[in-house]
Amino acid sequence: MVIKIIEFIFSPFLAFIIGVFFLGLFRKIVARIHQRYGPPIIQPLLDVIKLFHQKGFSHGALFDLGLILSLAGSIVVVLFIPFGGICPLKSSGGLLVILYTMLFLPLGIALSGGEGANPNISIGISRKLILCLGYEVPFLLILLSTMSFYRTISIVDIVNSQKNFHWTLFSPLFLSGIAYFMILPAMLGMRPFDIVSAPQEISSGPAVEYGGKYLGLFHIQHSFSIFIMIALFVDLFLGGGENIFYFFLKMLTIFFIMVLIHSVFPRLRLEQALRYLWKWPTIFAFLGVIISKVVR
Amino acid sequence: MDRKNILKWLKEPGKMGHKYSLWAVYFCTGCGIIEIPPTITSQWDAERFGVIPVATPRQANLFMITGYVSVKTLKAIIRTYEQMPEPKYTVAFGSCPINGGMYWDSYNTIKHIDKYIPIDGWIAGCMPRPEAIFIGVTKLWMMIDKGAATGYIRYRKNYKFYRRNQEKLFGKLPWPPLYPVDEKENKNG
Repeated sequence: MVIKIIEFIFSPFLAFIIGVFFLGLFRKIVARIHQRYGPPIIQPLLDVIKLFHQKGFSHGALFDLGLILSLAGSIVVVLFIPFGGICPLKSSGGLLVILYTMLFLPLGIALSGGEGANPNISIGISRKLILCLGYEVPFLLILLSTMSFYRTISIVDIVNSQKNFHWTLFSPLFLSGIAYFMILPAMLGMRPFDIVSAPQEISSGPAVEYGGKYLGLFHIQHSFSIFIMIALFVDLFLGGGENIFYFFLKMLTIFFIMVLIHSVFPRLRLEQALRYLWKWPTIFAFLGVIISKVVR
Repeated sequence: MDRKNILKWLKEPGKMGHKYSLWAVYFCTGCGIIEIPPTITSQWDAERFGVIPVATPRQANLFMITGYVSVKTLKAIIRTYEQMPEPKYTVAFGSCPINGGMYWDSYNTIKHIDKYIPIDGWIAGCMPRPEAIFIGVTKLWMMIDKGAATGYIRYRKNYKFYRRNQEKLFGKLPWPPLYPVDEKENKNG
């Protein structure tokens, strides 16, 4: 019982630490690619501390509540994700719960930003929801293929059946893994798909009216979402991890490749991104569904 | 980040946070902005001090006024400054905001920017080199440490003074002035 309670507190805290570490690493790696020295690796943490000591502007009750809804949704998703042996909520339908609760992340931000009544926010939110529509189609197909391949909707069982290097990425289902890898930059909001938070076009999109502690909460939510997207990939396709260290190492590898992609490619336009997302990843994910039906 | 500063971090996290993560708002006035791209990119990397440019005034806490300020720009500057969350710091950059510089006899530029918004620090020169900007930032750190960078408090306290100067400058306003100038005062100056 006590261990369970400790897990409940420890797991979101660890997710936050890893997310913030990834944000710091992100800035450092990009700086090194630009041949700069770069900020200290704990810079995002310093930024969050600063933001919580600033005065914030609220634009109404929904402005606060939407942000809290998004943050709470991401914490709930973290509780369902098995994390190197730790999984506070081992339900039998974990994957479906994750699937539905993950919708709270963009919807909470949309709800909150809409209260700000800034034209940049409306453009940013419409871009965010359309991008969601873009990556949700291959994402659902990928989850469907893994679920039907392992004949279970429990993410813990999927992780357990991949023990001893029987990773899904090396099984007949590798096409779904490639599809997930292709939509991962869009889910993280990284460079070929950073059309949502384009600072040069729409002055950082949905975050334009956030200041002070609201922006701090926004940053925390972003670090959680980075953790969720990558941890789900590691759980579904790279076999989870025997302990926290191996899990973290796998996440670090994936994130490092994502940062390299981010620092090389320019930004796509919205319809280009949508055309890409509904073409190649969707084809691969659909082939994955067919393979999972044929093999089993 | 210094290991000696850990005690300070524990004592006053807010102050140290304001010190080491200054976010400057993207705002260009005049020619001084040409010195900012080398400052924030690879040559002189400002991000190692935590200084990054952000796109909106809501997220920023450092305002650099780069170069001469025309009357029309001053309206945008005031609007941007008032949107920034407190505590906020302003640095006037180049000799034009200090005393007019080479535009000292221009009919359309501001001679002393600190009559209209409060300024915490000045960087002299035409143009100041990026090294001078870094010295300015370190001076601003010292001022934040001592609690001397209190421009935003001055603006709140002496709002009548600043507002009156602004309204006097803008002349014909689409709204009735908050602190109207008497005719006597108008004749004198």
